[in-house]
Amino acid sequence: MPSQIVSLVVNGERREFIAAPGATLLACLRESLGLIAAKRGCAQGACGTCTVLVEGRPEASCLVPVETVAGASVRTLEGVTAGGELDEVQSAFIDCFATQCGFCTSGMIMVAEALLERNPDPSEDDVIEAVSGNVCRCTGYRPIVIAIMEAARRRRERAVPR
Amino acid sequence: MAIQAVHVPESLDDVIACSARGGRIMGGGTALMPLVNSGAAAVTELVSLRRAGLCGIEVAEGVATIGAAATLAAVGEHPRLAFLRPALRTIASPTIRNQATVGGNLFVAQPYGDLGVCLLALDATCEIAGPDGRRDAPVADVLAAGTAAGEVVAAIRITLPEPGAWHYHKAMRRRLNSASIVTVASVAAPGGRRIVLGGVAPRPVRAFSAERLLDGRPLTPENLTEAGEAARADIDPFDDAYASAWYRARVLPVHLRRAFLP
Amino acid sequence: MTYRLAPIDTGAFAAERDDTGLTVVGSVVQRSDARGHVTGRTEFFEDVAPPRLAHLKMHRSARHHARIAGVDVTAALAVPGVLRVLTHADVPNNVYTVLKLIGVEPDDEPVLAVDKVRYLGEPVCAVIAETEAAALDGAAAVEVSYEDLPHVLDVEEALEEGAPLVNEYQGQNHFVYEGHHCRRIRFGDVEAAFARADHVFEWRYQSSPIEQAPVETTGCVVVPQADGRLRIHSDTQACFFTLDNTALILGTPFNRLRIVGGTVGGGFGGKVDVVVEPIACVAAMAVDRPVKFVYDRAEEMQVSSPRAAERIVIKDAVMDDGRVTGRKVTLYVDAGAYARHSPYGTTKAAAHLPGPYSIPNVWADCHCVFTNRTPSSAMRGFGVTIADFALESQMDRIARALGMDPLRLRLINAYRDGDVKAHRKIAEGTALVEVIQKAAELAGHDLPEDCRRMSSTTREGL
Repeated sequence: MPSQIVSLVVNGERREFIAAPGATLLACLRESLGLIAAKRGCAQGACGTCTVLVEGRPEASCLVPVETVAGASVRTLEGVTAGGELDEVQSAFIDCFATQCGFCTSGMIMVAEALLERNPDPSEDDVIEAVSGNVCRCTGYRPIVIAIMEAARRRRERAVPR
Repeated sequence: MAIQAVHVPESLDDVIACSARGGRIMGGGTALMPLVNSGAAAVTELVSLRRAGLCGIEVAEGVATIGAAATLAAVGEHPRLAFLRPALRTIASPTIRNQATVGGNLFVAQPYGDLGVCLLALDATCEIAGPDGRRDAPVADVLAAGTAAGEVVAAIRITLPEPGAWHYHKAMRRRLNSASIVTVASVAAPGGRRIVLGGVAPRPVRAFSAERLLDGRPLTPENLTEAGEAARADIDPFDDAYASAWYRARVLPVHLRRAFLP
Repeated sequence: MTYRLAPIDTGAFAAERDDTGLTVVGSVVQRSDARGHVTGRTEFFEDVAPPRLAHLKMHRSARHHARIAGVDVTAALAVPGVLRVLTHADVPNNVYTVLKLIGVEPDDEPVLAVDKVRYLGEPVCAVIAETEAAALDGAAAVEVSYEDLPHVLDVEEALEEGAPLVNEYQGQNHFVYEGHHCRRIRFGDVEAAFARADHVFEWRYQSSPIEQAPVETTGCVVVPQADGRLRIHSDTQACFFTLDNTALILGTPFNRLRIVGGTVGGGFGGKVDVVVEPIACVAAMAVDRPVKFVYDRAEEMQVSSPRAAERIVIKDAVMDDGRVTGRKVTLYVDAGAYARHSPYGTTKAAAHLPGPYSIPNVWADCHCVFTNRTPSSAMRGFGVTIADFALESQMDRIARALGMDPLRLRLINAYRDGDVKAHRKIAEGTALVEVIQKAAELAGHDLPEDCRRMSSTTREGL
């Protein structure tokens, strides 16, 4: 079967591109759309660095043949930085020193975004479960969990009108 | 092998048609895609169940019918299937649970597939569709022998256990997102108590020896330990990166006990 | 949950803090790379996408140790999309060793196997193709016929008489240090110390190879430039080291290569060897196109060099009062099939002995041993970390055997300023005593008064 045109709504924008049969969502984002935040770490769904949101839910994009999500809404880390402004998760990751080599950061932030969308006031256990599919081999897990808790706090404070 | 085509059929009939032409059925891809990505899958065509209308979950009169393509996350979020939630949380990560499917879980190799362990304990029935029509099969048969060529598991039916009748425990290397060392699932039903083990054999196994020992006896620590020791006759453990066969057999009685007396 | 946002703990050592007027030390300074990381704009090597990018995949040895009887690339070349298959004959200076830059000899490792393979997963042929999938199919289609040779996978077995010779370039199954069979320490007389000791304790320690497992696997993208130079985008931890070694392998002047690097998705020592860049450069020149060579996860685990497995035997002469008067160490570093950084790692292990203790009689033999296993190399304090595991386990076991507080045992033996160490250097600036005292305090471990009065700068309490 030849390559085909696939359409996705990526970060709120409809994008069309040509994909070879079986191309993964990760490969399409990176190679066809130039969205490089999601990384390939293991290509097995085990490391989490390729995590993006599909219809609002985190998925390992290395495991998704793009045909199976044609037309779907996909959100990547590039879409979190709206108009050059960092959101609470991103700024908390900076302030809490939750990045080291940076290779896991995109996946970590995407699962955090999905968590806070569904649960604005997560417990520490909730946060740990949310990132349990994401490997940080610099082993900076503690600052990452702290950053997500702090981001939740900042987002709740912002939501309360003063 | 390079993938030549990915089919995303939008009905069960189309799934069967694609499958008949040689495509490999794929649920969430969490088991198959790693092989595809490394070039190790002997497959050139994939048939995704993602849009085949097999994601529904219906509960009526104490029986749940779960579409084979329902994700583990969807099962965990269903209010009438709350008893399975603790078990589902021991399987992979929330991200992977958004992708992995109930049907797919029946076809992964141990020590993965803890939901399959649960379904065997629940004596689930698989609704299978194929070129020759529909048939029902006990989940035990599917776990043991798969389905015939061209067939697909379309849905899984379980009878919801009575309150307090369900027990589950999984021993793993980490608290979250780790494969099974020993998994125990059990249902007390009118016909007797079913106890199923995961992580200790190439496929989920019924611990008949433990069931017999516990028949009519109270769930005391002593009885459970004795049952766990007896269950060593029912297992065929293996070495892997998570634990040795020796270790799995050694700790089995402890975890069988903890399934009932945490 | 209580937590602090910045990793500076102003509560610890509060009494020792004073207003020094420092503006950076003790203050929170944002990481310069953090904004790139949290926006996904940091550019790792695999984020560059030059046009006409070709992909390289390796056909690897299926044997621990075998003579190569024949290599047939016909089927690989027939795979649609395969552009070229490279063998050792395509690599200008195929046999190298990375530490030649600091004078280590001999060259002992082929970029691509020549006449035999020495470990499972050793690269044999490089397949270049239009797509990654075609490169994988091509690599799988290469046919190598082997004549199996006996293999050796254990360091002590490798040193036995009659063991299979692993590496002909080395000539024997150990690295030769200036004419010696191992890296040695001879200080005082350990045998006399054992004869006079109240106790002699001998225990054996063994570690396994440890994979660094960075989330970003080892790889590079090589882009031929219009002026004939090669631009190498790499996740190496050692840009200039890689550039120099690659130039030597290619036989080109250093200024024909340019490395774009410094952004590493986790390395931990695993990205110090020069294994992907040279062959990717050969490939890029061969097809005159950009070429990407990146390990998949299985390759990262199987063939990227781990921390060496070590076996360490420690024999100590100990007096009733806890003084260690003699220490004899026999240490084996499993280098795997090739030297890489292991001669250096073994020297580091020797330099670290006998640990941070003043022991008057020390004898050590540190062997860098070749076996038919994946070559090992750098990882976070290699040479030192496993030795420390063994040394500190030994101290704990001695303390237990003597019924002594393990911290007291260490304080009695800790080196002080002015002590002559086994390497005949005078210790200065030592602080082990104070570190132990502080650690005991922070851990709520009550040290007796005489231990609290000890100091690195006096002989108090000895």
